[in-house]
Amino acid sequence: MNYIEFTVFLLPEIVLLVTALAVIGIDCARRGKAATGAGGTLASASLCAAGILVAALIILIMPQEGRIAGGMLVLDPLTRLFKLVLLAMTLVAVLMLMETRPVRHVGENFAVMLFAAIGMMLVVGTEELLVLFIGLELTGISLYVLVGFARSDIRSAEAALKYFLFGSVSAAFLLFGLSLIYGFSGSTELGEIGVAMQAGGMEPLLAVGLVMTLVGFGFKVAAVPFHLWAPDVYQGAPAPAAALVASASKVAGFFILAKVLLLGFAGAEGGAAWGGFQPGWVPLIGVMAALSMVVGNLAALVQNRVRRLLAYSGIGHAGFMLIALMAATPAALASVLFYVVIYGLTTLGAFGVVTVVLRAREGDRLSDFAGMSRQAPLLSFSMLIFFVSLAGLPPLAGFFGKFYLFTSAMGAQAAPGGQPGMLWLVLLALVMSAISLYYYLLVLKQIFFVEAAEGTPVIRASKTGTWTCSILAAATIVLGCYPGILLGPIRLAVGAAF
Amino acid sequence: MSDILFYAFAAITVFSAFMVVCSRNPVNAALFMIAAFVGAAALFALLEAFFLAAVQVLVYAGAVIVLFLFIIMLLDVERTRALRPGLVSLAASAAALGLLVVGVLWLFAWEGAGPLVDARGSDAPAALARNFGYELFTRYLLPVQVTGFLLLVAMIGVIHISKRPARDTAAEPKGEEANP
Repeated sequence: MNYIEFTVFLLPEIVLLVTALAVIGIDCARRGKAATGAGGTLASASLCAAGILVAALIILIMPQEGRIAGGMLVLDPLTRLFKLVLLAMTLVAVLMLMETRPVRHVGENFAVMLFAAIGMMLVVGTEELLVLFIGLELTGISLYVLVGFARSDIRSAEAALKYFLFGSVSAAFLLFGLSLIYGFSGSTELGEIGVAMQAGGMEPLLAVGLVMTLVGFGFKVAAVPFHLWAPDVYQGAPAPAAALVASASKVAGFFILAKVLLLGFAGAEGGAAWGGFQPGWVPLIGVMAALSMVVGNLAALVQNRVRRLLAYSGIGHAGFMLIALMAATPAALASVLFYVVIYGLTTLGAFGVVTVVLRAREGDRLSDFAGMSRQAPLLSFSMLIFFVSLAGLPPLAGFFGKFYLFTSAMGAQAAPGGQPGMLWLVLLALVMSAISLYYYLLVLKQIFFVEAAEGTPVIRASKTGTWTCSILAAATIVLGCYPGILLGPIRLAVGAAF
Repeated sequence: MSDILFYAFAAITVFSAFMVVCSRNPVNAALFMIAAFVGAAALFALLEAFFLAAVQVLVYAGAVIVLFLFIIMLLDVERTRALRPGLVSLAASAAALGLLVVGVLWLFAWEGAGPLVDARGSDAPAALARNFGYELFTRYLLPVQVTGFLLLVAMIGVIHISKRPARDTAAEPKGEEANP
């Protein structure tokens, strides 16, 4: 145990931590002088942004790589890349928080956002169950607080309570499952667990542990049947908090789920083929994937509020990603990670636009988006990019995400010893993504073709809001035209790690 | 001898845990919870994890239960008593639970439970307070530190959410949308 080494490995997280504490400190110091208003918000936001940028810089220039303390901290190209992605998403959420109306005690709001980022970075950078669980809990508790931050809004309180209850029950499942897996393998390190799984067969205790662990992760990534919290949280939470839940926490959730499945549960895959059933995690993930795709996309069709629609579509997207996880090959892993980053970026952008509309029109019904293209053309165009990309039309990033996802899943079926039966899931996914186009177009129709009713407030976006959304939209287009910019590093890093 | 003790304490723990869920009166439920915690502590002691057993009694059976009882006193118990789940949800949860029990029994009874590991005699890191502390501050330093910050976040959240609205409630936004 070397404390210096620890500090060096954790330097980005420590920078964020110091920033968060400084933000709280400044807020406390200003308390006497009416800490409301834009001044306090701007100060906290710029401090947070500076902290995030410094942390990102440290990750970029830090030469250390390797794993210390029995896999508790892992630094390799893959974890670095995803820490950077998480930092970028947190930065956007911080900017969005600046855009919402100033609230009292805004400093705590920014600080808790940074704590959530620290938790997610710990989750991404570990291969050890204990740190994994505590990181997930740090993220979870920060997100519960963020979701319930708008104290005077009863929907925010409802969302926070639902999120908290579901979250704590799923955390109990996860912890119980992880402890059973520890009992089976005698180690909390993913690599050693994988070795133990390959040596021993599928035992009853292991099966129970596997199912419980997947219940816990199913909540984190909002897969059916553990998705019930998602629509209420997306709608009730303040928009920046919902954006963070929908993007960064999903990225971290899928990253660690993939790592646990591919590293820790290697050798317990099992098979879901007709007539060739074997117990393991692949059949479970398959059921979750199929249910998520069907429930998410069909329920999104009848939603009247854009945030609920985004929630259900997010459940559907989780289903798509679970398909490729079933393939359990490095290529499929790279495609899942690519997809989840693209999904996170576009959802963040969509929530950014929703924030602006909420501020102007006090609601997010479909009709509240009417006539937006006349009043805020750049934002409307960004929304077009985000939704078309989420629907998966070329030449945007979402199309290539789906393309790589489905081809890698099919490739796993074709490979010798691969998973049979992927074809049906991919076909189902294709049908469902065609359906998804309909509800995305419903929103776009309101934005571009429906005139605003008399007397509706005009949507006026601030410079920060417009710029943030435009940059995210530009990123979606660029990643669509040159997916290799992101996919290349991900593939290289996955190749190095697996 | 230790087998008999194990079964006795396990029975106490399971019975009390069952009664926690089944008690109509929340105070009774809390008292049964103490019994369940003490039973679990005895199981820890049987595994020669004496420090863990002591902590279990001190923290859970002591402090946590006192907190529970305080909250039960402060809450309006009579009103929550009227809450009864509907028949459909009762039937659904009963079916799910039955399925779970049958599934686990089937796994163990028909597939075999696999080799059981005798954990007694192997090194229990939490047996002595000194070993426990040493492990916490060397091998598990990072989780301990992160847990500290987790508690900080929880504290910030609780203070923010539970604090009485300040004099300028009007300055806070009324919520982002008015719902019918």
